[in-house]
Amino acid sequence: MIRLLLLLLTLLVSDLAWAQRIEPPPGSVPAPALGGPPDAGLPPSVPSASAMPELIVDLSQPRVSITSAFQGESLLLFGMFDTPGEIVVVVQGPAARETVLRKERFFGLWLNTGRQQFDDVPAYYFIAASAPLQRLLARGAGGEILSLDDRLASIRPVRQRSPARLAEFRQGLVEVKRREDLYPAAFGHVTMQASRLFRAELPFPSRLPEGVYDVRTYLLRDGKIVAAVSRPLPVGKVGFSAQLAGWSTQAGPLYGLGAIVMALVLGWLGGAVLRRL
Amino acid sequence: MEIYLPIAEQSMNVFVLFALGGAAGLLAGMFGVGGGFLATPLLIFVGIPPAVAVASQANQVVANSVSSLQVQWRRGNVDLRMGLVLLLGGMLGSSAGVWLFTWLKRIGQVDFVIAVMYVVLLSSIGFLMLFESLSTYVKRRRNPTAPRGKRHTHYLVHRLPGKMRFYKSKLYISAFLPIGLGFVIGILSAILGVGGGFVLVPAMIYLLGMPTTVVIGTSNFQILFVAANVTFLQAATNGTVDVVLALLLILGGVVGAPIGSRIAARLPGVVLRALMAVLVLGVATELLFELLRTPPSPYSLGPREVLP
Repeated sequence: MIRLLLLLLTLLVSDLAWAQRIEPPPGSVPAPALGGPPDAGLPPSVPSASAMPELIVDLSQPRVSITSAFQGESLLLFGMFDTPGEIVVVVQGPAARETVLRKERFFGLWLNTGRQQFDDVPAYYFIAASAPLQRLLARGAGGEILSLDDRLASIRPVRQRSPARLAEFRQGLVEVKRREDLYPAAFGHVTMQASRLFRAELPFPSRLPEGVYDVRTYLLRDGKIVAAVSRPLPVGKVGFSAQLAGWSTQAGPLYGLGAIVMALVLGWLGGAVLRRL
Repeated sequence: MEIYLPIAEQSMNVFVLFALGGAAGLLAGMFGVGGGFLATPLLIFVGIPPAVAVASQANQVVANSVSSLQVQWRRGNVDLRMGLVLLLGGMLGSSAGVWLFTWLKRIGQVDFVIAVMYVVLLSSIGFLMLFESLSTYVKRRRNPTAPRGKRHTHYLVHRLPGKMRFYKSKLYISAFLPIGLGFVIGILSAILGVGGGFVLVPAMIYLLGMPTTVVIGTSNFQILFVAANVTFLQAATNGTVDVVLALLLILGGVVGAPIGSRIAARLPGVVLRALMAVLVLGVATELLFELLRTPPSPYSLGPREVLP
């Protein structure tokens, strides 16, 4: 009887512990809640109901490798969660300064006359969810999970101008990124299986900026984030491509000489061989 | 089959690039010009960033001109003295051009300047060539034995100071003239990614009055070094030379060039020049159309700057 009471008490405490963990301090990056029993305060002898993490996530590949044959890639994100709940996945590329150029008609010719720089622009942004995102975000998790529009609302213009003009350039930025599939227009779908497993496709286009991407998976229950798992996803050139790009940036003059020698040898050989045919 | 271009940072169809190089080689073989004036706009058209297209095309021009120079040198068709004087201007011009290119890239006007320069250059040269070949054709038909006219006429340019003797070209002209010409060609080379043969060759014939036998060889000589300089400077300052892209273009060119020279051997010179003129005008019209047409989207992005 006492043991039963103790078990109930444990459950209650662990529930409270969850409640504490799910409220990240405003403005801070939430600590990834991956693995490990969260209820460190409990006596170890007591079996804990939450010994298993509520959210486990993995990717089909630990990194996106840009090789000579790279044409864009689709990664599979998959995992398991404690029901009930909804899953949201946010993938974000490294932030940088982007320059948006706008063509305007100038004596009949189209010419880049408008120009606006923004700081903190994510190279890539993709959201997938297991339910319509608007509904999920409306229920309270919106502070932490940002739709693309919300995320872009926080990019900083380098030069200030009227809000209307800034909005136009911001729209232009989205347009170009959409065209290059860096901000995929459609929300991805997180599909559920056996009501405990989930999976989502993360699409990466061929023209992908390098850097460490952040793949964040959230478990939502009643419109609140109950768990979050953050995984870095390095995107970079490997092998031959990486070698060449490395030489080009680190040893430009040497790379240039190499390129000239290659052209001289090929041109010479080509000329010599083909004259005999 | 797609290949990832490490500097352009995108994947491209191998055969498209190979065919582009082949087309440039074909032109080189047919008309004795580099074909860069066609390949660079086409590279930009298929989506290669202009900065990478121009720099990698310069690398291709190196290969192209060395194989032509091989032949011309053996035949003794290179006026080395004239070539070196041209080169002096060419080196200065191409260095200035790369610097100008870097600046244009920074202010985001590189695409526009490339397009406008192409339109102006190609349309003027195309019209000149078309006019010249048509009038030659008409004259020949009326009087097939008519003399070709004077060897060269004396203009204002012959009164400039700093005269130099060019034995092989049988010229006694101011050295400033070829230096200035080399300078202009050097700038074109750096900004447009072309050898500049399509400007240099007519200028050497009509402006300097060089005999046609040494014109191709000497221009090849100057172009080889200028293109090498552009490749080096672009790689060193902008890091925009994509050797994978250049390699495919070169291989295409190696195959295309002999086909072009075989075609050229079967066609009369007048027809050849008229064809070339039509081609040049076609490229110019297309580029002009691109400038005048309302773009599908007015927005584009400049280079990404990762702040430390």
